[in-house]
Amino acid sequence: MARPALRLPGPHRRRSRRGDVIGITVIAVLLVALALFAPPGLTNVGVYALIYSLAALGLSLLMGLAGQVSLGQAGFFAIGAYTQAVLVTRYEVGALLASVAAVAVTMTVALLVGLPLLRLRGHYLALATLGFGIIVTVLATESDFLGATSGIFGIAKPEFNGRTYDSTTEYFLLLVPVVLLGLLLARNVVESRIGRALGAVNDSEVAAESLGVDTFRLRVQVFVLSAAYASVAGTAFAHWLGVVNPNTANFPLSVSFLLMAVLGGVGTVYGAVIGAFAVEGLDDGLRRLIPELVPGAVGEVQLIGFGILLTTIMIFLPGGLHQLWTTARRRLSGSDLEGGGPPADADATADAVAPPPDESPLLAREGRPVAGTPLLEVSGLTKRFGGVTAVDDFDLTVHAGEIVALIGPNGAGKTTAFNMISGAVDPTAGTVTMAGMRVEGRKPHVFARAGATRTFQNLQIFTSATVLGNVMVGRHLRSRTGLLGAALVLPARREERALEASARELLDLLGLGPDADRLAVDLPFGRQRLVEVARALALEPDLLLLDEPMAGLSGAERRDLARLLRRLRAGGMAIVLVEHDVEAVLALADRVAVLEDGVRIALGAPEEVRHDPAVVAAYLGVEPEDSSAVAVAETGPGELR
Amino acid sequence: MTDLLQLVFAGLSQGAVYALIAIGFVSVFTVSGVINLAQGEFAALAGLVAISAVGSGLPLPAAAAVALATVAIVAVLMERLTIRPVKRMTTLVSLILTLGVSTALKALMLLVFGPNAEGLTPFTPGGFTVAGVSIRYQELWILAIAAVVASAVYWFYDHTLAGKSLRACAEQPVAARLVGISLGRASLMAFLIAGCVGAVAGVLASPIYFTSWESGLTLGLKGFVAATLGGLVSVRGAVLGGLLLGVLENLTAGYISTGLRDAVAFLLLIVVLVARPSGVFGRHAEARV
Repeated sequence: MARPALRLPGPHRRRSRRGDVIGITVIAVLLVALALFAPPGLTNVGVYALIYSLAALGLSLLMGLAGQVSLGQAGFFAIGAYTQAVLVTRYEVGALLASVAAVAVTMTVALLVGLPLLRLRGHYLALATLGFGIIVTVLATESDFLGATSGIFGIAKPEFNGRTYDSTTEYFLLLVPVVLLGLLLARNVVESRIGRALGAVNDSEVAAESLGVDTFRLRVQVFVLSAAYASVAGTAFAHWLGVVNPNTANFPLSVSFLLMAVLGGVGTVYGAVIGAFAVEGLDDGLRRLIPELVPGAVGEVQLIGFGILLTTIMIFLPGGLHQLWTTARRRLSGSDLEGGGPPADADATADAVAPPPDESPLLAREGRPVAGTPLLEVSGLTKRFGGVTAVDDFDLTVHAGEIVALIGPNGAGKTTAFNMISGAVDPTAGTVTMAGMRVEGRKPHVFARAGATRTFQNLQIFTSATVLGNVMVGRHLRSRTGLLGAALVLPARREERALEASARELLDLLGLGPDADRLAVDLPFGRQRLVEVARALALEPDLLLLDEPMAGLSGAERRDLARLLRRLRAGGMAIVLVEHDVEAVLALADRVAVLEDGVRIALGAPEEVRHDPAVVAAYLGVEPEDSSAVAVAETGPGELR
Repeated sequence: MTDLLQLVFAGLSQGAVYALIAIGFVSVFTVSGVINLAQGEFAALAGLVAISAVGSGLPLPAAAAVALATVAIVAVLMERLTIRPVKRMTTLVSLILTLGVSTALKALMLLVFGPNAEGLTPFTPGGFTVAGVSIRYQELWILAIAAVVASAVYWFYDHTLAGKSLRACAEQPVAARLVGISLGRASLMAFLIAGCVGAVAGVLASPIYFTSWESGLTLGLKGFVAATLGGLVSVRGAVLGGLLLGVLENLTAGYISTGLRDAVAFLLLIVVLVARPSGVFGRHAEARV
C-alpha cells in the first residue's frame, strides 16, 4: 500500500494526495468504529475529544504555519459557545444558522483582536493571547446579559430533519463529519501556496518578505482561521453540555488545547485529532485515578498529568507523536526512505546539460519598463547606528536593463545600503523610489510588489523546504490562491501545477534541475547561492539586487552566472550587484558605484572607475600618486578583500 | 482627594509585589531568553508553604524561611530538570516547557494544600490612619522589604563579580563563555534569584491578597506585564513597571469597576507593546539583520 509513495524523488517531497485520502479514511473508520462498538463511557470521552480536537486543530495550524503560540484559544472557544447559546436560547435561532453566526462573530472578534496583537512577537504575543483569554473570562463573569458567573442554561440538543441528536453515540456521529471536514480543509491550507509562504516565513522572515510575502496579513488570516476552528468547537460544546459559563474561557482549557496540539505534533493536522483523544483519555483516567491515590483530592487534579506531559514532550519529543511515527516508519523501511538525494540519473543529466554558450535574452516579457528609463531612484539615503554612520547621503539611479555594480572594501556600507533599499532596514534619512513608488521604511514585500527583489550575503535559504519549494515561494506574487481557495482546493490545483512547472523550468535554466527535490540546505554552499538567485528570478522582477552572488562559486559557475546575468539584462531586467570579485564586476557591469566608509566615492563606467585615484586609494590604502598601486589595480588583483 | 491617595497607596504596595515578581522574569529572561511562566507559581507556592508552616506551629520568620528555601529548591530543580536538557531553546519551546512546569506546580499545590484560598497571618496586625488614608502595617512591610530586596538585587548585578558575569552572559553569551563564565551556572543562578524574589513576593502578599493554588496565574501575568513595561531587561524598569501597574489597577478598581481590575494589566500590555515595543522605561534596541 505504501509502495507508490516510496518511489517519489525524495523523502521531503510534499505528502501525496493518496496518502492524505488514506489518512482521512483511516481516521473516519476508526471514529465510526469507536462510536458503534465502544462502551458509552468511552464514547462520552470521545465526544469531548472530537469537540476539543477542532479547537486544537486551529491552534496547531496557528503554531505550525504562523509559528505563533496562543495561550488564549479557549477565549475564542468561549465566544463561539456564548454566541451560540445566546442566539439559540434568547432569539430562538436554529442551531445551524446560529452556528454560522457564531463562527462569523468569533472571526470578527479574532480579526479585531489580531490586528493589534499580531504586531507583537514571540513571548509578547503568547502572553497577550493569555491576557485576551483572561479578559474574556472577566467580561463573561461581569456581564449580566451573559448570565454572569452562572452562565446561560437550557441549550437544547440539536435537531435536524425532525431528529434530535441527544444520545452520546448520535452526537458523536454527528460530529465525525464536521471534524473530518475540518481536517480536510486544514490539510489543504497547509499544502497550499499560503502554507508554503508561511513555512518560508518561519525559516526566514526577511527572505520571504523580499519575495513578496505579506507576513503580517497572512498571520492575521491564520489567526482568524484558528479562531474559527475554536468557535466551531464552542458551538458544538454549547449544545452538548447545555450550559455555557465563564469556565469555557478558562486558562486550563487553553492549556489542554495546547497540549493536544503539541502531543499530536505541531502543524500536523491529524496530530491534533489524535492528541485530543489522547489528552481527553488521560484527563478522564487521571480524574478517576488521582482521588484514589490522594484521598480528598478535588478539582482540576488532572492538570498535574498535563503539566508533566507537556514538559516531558518538549524535552524528549518536541515533534510530538508525529515525530515518533515518522521515526518509527523510517526505521522500519530502512534505507528505502533515507535514500534521498538526487535521482539516480543525476550524473547522466549533468553530462547531457553542458549547454552551448547561449546569449539569448531571458525572461523578457510584456510590460517591462523600456530600457533606459529610471527604475530605482535612491536619494540622500543615510543610516546611523548610534554614533556610527554606516551609509552617508547615498544617491543612485538605476535604469531599466542595466547592470550596476556596488563595490567597496569590507564595512563600506554596501549591504546596509541594500538592506535599506529593499526594506529590511529602515533608513535614518533619504528616499527610495521604485518604479514611481516610495518604498523607504516600508516592509520588503512592498518592494517586491513594486517589481524588485534581492538575494542575501548571509544565505537566507528556506531550510525546511526543497530546492523546488524554495523557488515556488518565489512565485508567490505570480499566483493568487488565497486562504479560502486553498481550503477548497479545486481552483488551487491547476495553479499549483502551473507553478511547479514554471519553477522547474527556472531550476533547469540554472542547472539546478537534478537537485530540485532535495532539501535546499543539503546542497553545497555555492549551489545554495544559485538557489537564492533562482528563487529571486521566480518573481520575474524588473530589478534584481544580488548581494555577493559569486561568493562560494567555482570559476565555471561564476562564468555561467555572469552569462545568465547578461542574458537577463538583454531580457530587460535591471540588476544591481554587490561583489568582491572586482574583475568579474568590471567585466559585467555597465556602471560601477564605489562606497567607502558609507560615502559614494565614485560612480561611472568600469574603465573610469578602474582608474579613479580615489578608488585605487580606497582599495589599496595608498596615496593616488603611487603609480605601482595603479598598475596593480589595472592588471587586477583578482579578489580584493 | 483622600480617595485618590488611598488608591495610590494601596496601588503602590500591590505594585511592589508585582515588581518583585517582575524582577524574577527579568533575571531569567536576560540570561537564558526564557520567559518563565512558572514565575507566578513560585510566589503562590511560597505563600502556601508559609501558611501551612505557620499552621503547624512554626513562628512566622521561620515559616517564611522554610517557604523561601522550598521555592529556591524548586526553582533550581526546575532549571536543572527542564531548562538544562533542552538543546535548542526556541521561544515556542520555552513557553510550552515553562507552561508545563507551571501547570504541574499548580496541580501539585492543589493536591497538597487543597482548593481553598487562605491568608498568612500579617507580620504586624492592624494599621493606622493618616490624613484619611488608612494604612495597614502589612502594606508598610511589603513596601519596605520589597525596597530592600530590589536594591539588593540591583546592587548584586552592579557591584559583584557574579552579578556582572550574569550581565555578561545576557549581553554576549559567546564572549562570556570565552572568558570562562559558565552559562549553565549563570542560568542556575538566574533561576535561584527568580525563585527567591518570587518567594519573597508570595510571602509578603499573602496576608492581604490571600493565596490559593491558582493565584500564581494572575500574579505571574501581572509580573510579566510589569517587566514588559520596564523593557524586560532592566531591574529598575521592572520595579517602576510594577509600581505603575499596581497604581493603575487600583485606580481602575476604585473609579471604574472592581471587576475590570484584572483587564487593565492586559489592555496596558497590548497598548504599550504595540505603541512602544521596548517598554515605557526601556531603551530602544535595534534588531540585527
